[in-house]
Amino acid sequence: MPKSRIVIVLWQLAILAAVLVIWQWGFDWSKALLPKAYVPKILDPYFVAKPSLIWQSFLRLGCLDDSGGFAACIKGNDNNLWLATLITLKNTWWGFLFGSASGIAAGLILGRSDFLARVFGPYIVAFNSIPRIALVPLVILIFGLGDLSKIATAWLVVFFVVFFNTFEGARAVDRDQIAAARLMGASEFIVLRTVVVPSALAWVFASLLPAVSFALIGVIVGEFIGAERGLGKLIIEAEARANASEMMVAIFIMMFVGILLAVVVRSLQSYLLRWQPQFERSM
Amino acid sequence: MMAVPGPSPSPSTRLALAREDRHADAARTRIAVQGLTKRFTSTGREFVAVDDVSFEVKQGEFVALLGPSGCGKSTILNMVAGLLPRSGGRILIDDDTVETGRVNRKVGYVFQRDTLFPWRTVEQNIGYGLEIAGIHKAARAGRVASAIDKAGLAGFAQSFPRMLSGGMRQRVALMRTLILEPEILLMDEPFGALDTHTKLEMHKTLLEIWERERQTVLFVTHDLGEAITLASRIILLSARPGRLKEDFEIALLRPRDPVSLRESAEFGRLYSHIWHSLGEEFRRTRVD
Repeated sequence: MPKSRIVIVLWQLAILAAVLVIWQWGFDWSKALLPKAYVPKILDPYFVAKPSLIWQSFLRLGCLDDSGGFAACIKGNDNNLWLATLITLKNTWWGFLFGSASGIAAGLILGRSDFLARVFGPYIVAFNSIPRIALVPLVILIFGLGDLSKIATAWLVVFFVVFFNTFEGARAVDRDQIAAARLMGASEFIVLRTVVVPSALAWVFASLLPAVSFALIGVIVGEFIGAERGLGKLIIEAEARANASEMMVAIFIMMFVGILLAVVVRSLQSYLLRWQPQFERSM
Repeated sequence: MMAVPGPSPSPSTRLALAREDRHADAARTRIAVQGLTKRFTSTGREFVAVDDVSFEVKQGEFVALLGPSGCGKSTILNMVAGLLPRSGGRILIDDDTVETGRVNRKVGYVFQRDTLFPWRTVEQNIGYGLEIAGIHKAARAGRVASAIDKAGLAGFAQSFPRMLSGGMRQRVALMRTLILEPEILLMDEPFGALDTHTKLEMHKTLLEIWERERQTVLFVTHDLGEAITLASRIILLSARPGRLKEDFEIALLRPRDPVSLRESAEFGRLYSHIWHSLGEEFRRTRVD
């Protein structure tokens, strides 16, 4: 490891340690040292909890403390931390998958057909102007409180992001590359499969990374508004009890879920786009 | 006793026979361009790019279409390839009328611009035409490997195009077309973007292949030296609108070596002879 890399890692660890220390003890210290008016409210554990409390909540929600045993605890709570995480992760994944698959398909079709693009253009622009979150209550009304409404919400958010990028990508395909393929005997379908799709893939992937976080946002918002299970539901329940540390647990788990999904998409991207210079290293 | 050689002809005899076959119908017209015209409309104004051009290319001829920039020579080539609709006239390939958008399997095309697929390796680029024709991977491998060898690209089979130099990329593009064994080869300033040294090397490669396989070639260029080096005939076009100006037979001996050829007296004579005619057209472009 080169020296500069060590320095960077050391700085990162120092910042992490500083944040944790201030979060844990900052409020008590400032209360002891400063006049009451100058004590920063933002450090109040009532609002932001503190690392030790979050850790305890994590152990309790995750059935990892010793009272009563793991299996019984998991059985007794159908929105325990692990099940909630699993549900949220699963719904995010399916919403992302359906959303990006349909976005890619629609983008390729409209991107290659001027006629369809012009017919559907205004509708797509109009529909895209609706803030997606405004549709969530409607989606829940239609699909119920279960998983389906969360997948549908994620789909709504993901579809347009991926659609617009794929559409642009399909239009930006080099005409001479298409002509070259045709001159070598490629049919319309083979041109689509061997030239348009690989060429648009870079554009598609540019949208998949944000799309995966959007899918997670869609699912969580769906869970806020109406759900039986999931991490969003966990947060809403904790809010009702004014329990900041439990909210923090759910937020940290979401962070890990988000990272996990991003890593999966990124590794897929660097394999499929290995012909591009910025992914050369990962070949 | 040693085994007695059988009656089958040795490889060299067979090659000679193949050449004789090709020479036998050397008089056959492969490409016939008759009264070809192309008009473009740009910003409401119509202009004539190609004006009543007629010529023929016979079996095994290497014809260079030479003219100053903007004289419509690439336009002519694209109409011959069926990439561009024509405004008037006829084009026949082996007595069949060329239709825009319909691909002729006998015809191969090499672009001036780099049209390699950047997401495919050298090997996959060269094998593309065979792959989409449904030829099995195992059957492709041998032909692709020999094409890579022929183009001097050994060791680069697994490289992506962006890792190659401009000259190497154009070799890949050439082999991608030649592997489909086209009888007629259309080339649109394929070496226009290369530096002089690389260009001469590409001439050498192309001459070696052509002198062995004798495809019928229509080669667009604005480089007189290139035209003399490669072609057996040069068709000179006038500045815009493109009209047929002159037709030169290049009766230099083959096989030709692109470097030593340039030092020969005959090359110089041809060069100054055609240069005079071409120069008039270059001056006309500048005055316009």
